Amino acid sequence: MLARRPSAAAMVGLTLACLAVMPTQAVAETVLRTRLNADIRSTDPGTNRDANTDGVVAHLVEGLVAFREDTSIGPMLAENWAVSNEGKTYTFRLRQGVKFHNGATMTAEDVVWSFKRWLDPATQWRCLSEFSPSGIARIEKIEAPDAQTVAVTLDQPTALFLPTLARPDCGQTAVIHRDSVGADGKWIAPIGTGPFKLGEWKRGQYIDVVRFDGYASRSEPRSGYAGAKAAEVDRVRFNVIPDSSAAKAGLLSGSLDVISALGVPDLEDLKSRSEVQISVTPALGLTGILFQTKDPLLKDVRIRRAIALCLDTAEIAGVVMQGTARANNSALPIGSPFYSEVQTHGYTQNIAEAKKLLVEAGYRGQPVKMIANKRYGFVFDSAVLVQAMAQGIGINIEIEVLDWATQLDRYNRGDYQAMAFVYSARLDPSLSFEMLTGPKATQPRKIWDNPEAQEMLRQSMMTDDAAKRQALFDEMHRRFIKDVPMIVLFNGAELAALRKNVRGYAGWLYPEPRFWGVSVQ
Amino acid sequence: MLGYLARRLVMTVPTLLLVAIAVFTLVRLIPGDPVQVMLGDAAEPAQVAQMRAQLGLDQPIPLQFVHWLAKLLTGDFGHSITDNMAVLPLILERFQVSAIIVLVAVGLAACVAVPAGLIAAWRQNSALDLAVVGSATLLLSIPSFWLGLLLLLLFGLKLKWLPVIGYVPFSENFWQAMVFMLLPIATLTMIEIGVLTRMARAASIEVLRLEYVTHARAKGVPEWLVLGRHVLPNAFAPTWTLIGLVLGHLLGGIAVIETVFTLPGLGRLLVDSIFARDYPVVQGCLLFTAVIYVVVNLIVDLCYPLFDPRVTVA
Repeated sequence: MLARRPSAAAMVGLTLACLAVMPTQAVAETVLRTRLNADIRSTDPGTNRDANTDGVVAHLVEGLVAFREDTSIGPMLAENWAVSNEGKTYTFRLRQGVKFHNGATMTAEDVVWSFKRWLDPATQWRCLSEFSPSGIARIEKIEAPDAQTVAVTLDQPTALFLPTLARPDCGQTAVIHRDSVGADGKWIAPIGTGPFKLGEWKRGQYIDVVRFDGYASRSEPRSGYAGAKAAEVDRVRFNVIPDSSAAKAGLLSGSLDVISALGVPDLEDLKSRSEVQISVTPALGLTGILFQTKDPLLKDVRIRRAIALCLDTAEIAGVVMQGTARANNSALPIGSPFYSEVQTHGYTQNIAEAKKLLVEAGYRGQPVKMIANKRYGFVFDSAVLVQAMAQGIGINIEIEVLDWATQLDRYNRGDYQAMAFVYSARLDPSLSFEMLTGPKATQPRKIWDNPEAQEMLRQSMMTDDAAKRQALFDEMHRRFIKDVPMIVLFNGAELAALRKNVRGYAGWLYPEPRFWGVSVQ
Repeated sequence: MLGYLARRLVMTVPTLLLVAIAVFTLVRLIPGDPVQVMLGDAAEPAQVAQMRAQLGLDQPIPLQFVHWLAKLLTGDFGHSITDNMAVLPLILERFQVSAIIVLVAVGLAACVAVPAGLIAAWRQNSALDLAVVGSATLLLSIPSFWLGLLLLLLFGLKLKWLPVIGYVPFSENFWQAMVFMLLPIATLTMIEIGVLTRMARAASIEVLRLEYVTHARAKGVPEWLVLGRHVLPNAFAPTWTLIGLVLGHLLGGIAVIETVFTLPGLGRLLVDSIFARDYPVVQGCLLFTAVIYVVVNLIVDLCYPLFDPRVTVA
């Protein structure tokens, strides 16, 4: 067979075409393409938000402080801070030379203006209630003694002031330029100090964040949402792709560089692909089985304990998360710095003891309805395994599958017998217990109504003495295991799939991707 | 004709009112609360109450309905609870995406299905008929998401001829838009070919059995003329009705195809809004779909006389 030779004219044409293209390639911008499973809600930090919104906005804005990799608090826009007045006054010294995306230099006045905006009920800041009389503390005064200093005075000391400021769902209490809002106070767009600035947002399609050339980076290494934040690509495009199969195809075809929040079912296939690398990071969420302790059947702790003792949680975690997560029965996630030897003591499978407890409780096969959902596949899979193991000792669990919104409604009303559920990440251990314990009479969503635990929780919020807090969390853990209001199974893992040309990507305990310090080769 | 049109338009008013009541009631019967979905598992009761009050969700449901209806009469569909966007512009923007795919796909499907059905009927019980019926049944039986994913894997992943994700509006760049639209249109076209071919064949078989066809053949009219002039126009009316129904149904959104091909269409908007319990958007989408259904069927009815002279719209 004869191969057709290209003609001379074609060769000349091709050469000219290549020459024409070359200058364009020399200045081509670098773009990192990633996926969001749903569009963001707004660009206003910590107001109309969800996890996707927080993740994108974190590239645009920064606060005075931020969470480090180990969930401790580090400085961000603050150079440092001092606590005085018996723990009630925080004086922040600001970094010099920090620029907003519009070129203006950040001053203490900008910080005061931003704080006042967050504390204005009209802003609808998510974390406003934390600074209300029923919250962690009230802010009595915010002052700017000079251009580089901001002093915040609280009505009472609290260990949660800095962690609350740094919370990603609070928009990191971002310091923004006042031109971010219009003359009428309405939100326009974030003019922050982050390593990226807002590019184009095509609703339902994509949102671009573009490198901010005037960014003043910290010198410490990248750590969580703190430390250095160098934008190493010109643009990050967050594509809105609800379907995970389409996202996977996008990664394999080279249309996407990174898929974060990768589903466990996709893990095995993508692991075997030569063009893909997998990132596995322990997460802070809690997956487990909630019990309604006011239920006529499940108010008997012996039945709840019997269910806990019939489970092989290590097996459940291993199967459901395909070896990417360890079992954990504690309300404190494994990644927490307060997760100590005490927290490793949970439930050990003991079938004989479980059967004995059921006999003592007079259980005769009454059905236990357990709500689950398929939005989070690992939650449903966990429910099925719990059902099967409980069946082994004669406990009759019936699974009712609901959509997420309905399940959330039932959770908030406390309207369930048992529920397979996942709690989102809490970066402070007090907040991990706070989401669980409280009076059911006024807060039906709380699963653990134990006044002593509530008092210990209150104390843990008041002190920043690490040893005292550790002792409180240890004792709360022991009581949590004894009361069995919930069986925590595992904390899950943050999975991401990246093409091999992506460098510098690293997940961390908080389940939102960071694209500073990440490059595309 | 104009009188008929006016009568039909007047008749749509009670229809749409009933749809509005049904939509509003049904949406609120779904368990779940948009505020709780927005605030997630960390929702404080005070926050929930504050946001419900801001969104007017704390008012009695009949009052909410009256407010919504009063705004509707002025053309205001309200604002999305999720992202505060005006609902009508949002729907119109998303509808453009769905409409292009649906109109092109159904048009192409009709161009293939009607001749295929006619030929299969003409050669009924032959190998050709079997092949057409078999292919149509196969296409009809394949779930659209599966077919879409297969095409995506073949042309996007294996051959790398077409992009796997993304969307460019036709108004921005026609050729780029075509590249992104090719696979979704192909998927929908193949599915609809299955639907329409079976109807076109069944209608053609019925007409081919009528006496006037036998009479035409006895007169020695050439076979192509019998099919083209005597069978096709008479057999097309039922297919046309089906096209109308299909269009009405699909224009309400092709959520599965839009999700697989990451297209920002009306169907995806509706599904996302249902999961988020975004009441104004769900209500707006469903009402808009009802209007589209009514309009498409009206157009189909007005077109009948073009195909069947026995039908009048007076």
